[in-house]
Amino acid sequence: MKKITIFALVLSVLAMPVLAGGQSDEEKTVKIGISKIVEHPALNAIEQGIQDELAALGYADAEYDLQNAAGDMNTASQIAAMFKMEKVDVAVGIATPTAIALATGIKDQPVVFSAVTDPVGAGLVDNLEEGKNNVTGISDMTPVQMQIGIIADLGNVKSIGHIYSSGEPNAVKLAEYAEEGCRDRGIEFVAATVANSSEVMQAAASIANKVDAIYLSTDNTVFSALGSVVEVATKAGIPVFTADTTSAVDSGVLGAYGFDYYKLGRATGKLVARILEGEDPASIPTQFMTEASDLDLVLNLDVAEALGLSIPDALVKDATTVVKDGKVQ
Amino acid sequence: MTEIFGIILIEGLIYGIMALGVFISFRILDFPDLTVDGSFPMGAAVMAACLLADIPYVAAFALTFIAGSLAGMTTAVFHNKLKIPGLLAGILTMTILYSINLRIQNFSPNISFLKVETLFDSVHDMMKGVMGSTWSVLLLLVAVTFVLKTLLDLFFHTDMGLTLGAMGDNEQMVIAQGVNPRVMKMIGIGVSNGLVAISGAFAAQYQGQADVNLGRGIVVMGLASVMIGEFLIKSNRISLLTLRVLLGSIAFRGIMFLARNLTFLNLKPSDLQLIYGLSIVLLLLVTGRKQKKNKRSV
Repeated sequence: MKKITIFALVLSVLAMPVLAGGQSDEEKTVKIGISKIVEHPALNAIEQGIQDELAALGYADAEYDLQNAAGDMNTASQIAAMFKMEKVDVAVGIATPTAIALATGIKDQPVVFSAVTDPVGAGLVDNLEEGKNNVTGISDMTPVQMQIGIIADLGNVKSIGHIYSSGEPNAVKLAEYAEEGCRDRGIEFVAATVANSSEVMQAAASIANKVDAIYLSTDNTVFSALGSVVEVATKAGIPVFTADTTSAVDSGVLGAYGFDYYKLGRATGKLVARILEGEDPASIPTQFMTEASDLDLVLNLDVAEALGLSIPDALVKDATTVVKDGKVQ
Repeated sequence: MTEIFGIILIEGLIYGIMALGVFISFRILDFPDLTVDGSFPMGAAVMAACLLADIPYVAAFALTFIAGSLAGMTTAVFHNKLKIPGLLAGILTMTILYSINLRIQNFSPNISFLKVETLFDSVHDMMKGVMGSTWSVLLLLVAVTFVLKTLLDLFFHTDMGLTLGAMGDNEQMVIAQGVNPRVMKMIGIGVSNGLVAISGAFAAQYQGQADVNLGRGIVVMGLASVMIGEFLIKSNRISLLTLRVLLGSIAFRGIMFLARNLTFLNLKPSDLQLIYGLSIVLLLLVTGRKQKKNKRSV
């Protein structure tokens, strides 16, 4: 009996690849593997953007293998191994850990990274001017300097508080840039770090009375508790300004400056198409979302009024989206 | 196609080392040790620091083992001296390790190994032309796990090892023999987490990065591997006990792989954790039934 169970288990392990592989060896269409680190609105928007852009560029019948490491770094490398075996035409890694896992596991098929803030620091590429072997991609570097500049322009801001996750590589890098931006303008930078979203409210409370404004970068952990930051900030009478434009319309945030992650997805799709057309990833530089058309400025004048802030007219003129009297204008 | 087996074996062996650690704490010492979720990324962090500092592999792995052991001993001290319940002691150490690991990684939550040469890269370069990267890595891991397993088997045949085994079964008896159970627990949990850290160091090199979040849910994987192993082989011999842990880990990786490919059931990638969980529950159910049946027949 014991032997039979062992035999059955070994057999089922042996049968796995057959069951698994059966679906991939059919007619030759374009196959794209997308690996993202977690289920998250911004990352989902990228995934959707890639597919929409490729469909628009004529790859309507492209086949997708959408994988999600569910926050588990150990799964990320298994996904890479699977893409390698499926011989996907292009493997896309959304977020730093998944992109590194793909670049480590796949050496002979194109790998495109998306939403990686610091691709050089992550070792994905050696410099921003070209790709590295089979790897190239798009950075989600937000214009931190400009964001800090906008907060400074609100007037009378002597210190900026920043809450970020100490466990997210992108967030830590952006915090460095934010600190630099504040230093350049002679503004005091007050940081509070969190390990998970349940700590966000306390982190906000710990700095709310010491700062004139709170700045949030594109940090998944902090954004999942955005409501608590706004609550604390509103009580303290200070504005919250973020890098995530999708959050700024009705969350009580004063404003946001950055790009839409869906647009980042479209741009990623464009890059994937270039590689499908035969371009060598090694010759493609890291792309950035820096075109004026990529960037949106959202301002919520209702929040400004509630906080007793007067927003400079020039800034309002620059805004792509303005919320006033509860309406988007 | 055969590459899939290679990958399942590689992952099974890498995480099998961790499962051996979990086996020591949970099964031999009967101590539910959650330090593992922190000592696993700690191994990765120490390895990253060593690689960046150009420390030779042997020394790097020794440091990794020591770091992991210290983490385990911290839990033992919390439990023994401060009288903190075992489960909580492990959780506390795990929590503390998050900050320590960030420090080891120089405050960067993710260190990429794409910029440094890892042990796997070296082995691959050495074997270039002889065999593909998957097989050279597999060969290395077979050798490493064989050595670790043999050392562990030998250890459990020494007086100290036998006492450790006896203590999990009946602590009072061991105390009656004049053994200090605290010291034994400290050594056992230390060795256990040392192995977990080594596993973390290998996993990080395999994945190409050390990440502070690497340890999430690791202890569950280890436990599942141990239990699947028990389902595969029934024995009391230590060499078979350790072997079945490794086999269990390989089988668990296979199940993960299968779960990931169940697309024909219209499952979404985000359902994966659900599938892992349910397949383990199913397995335990089957094992439980079998044991009941055996008991009845006796």
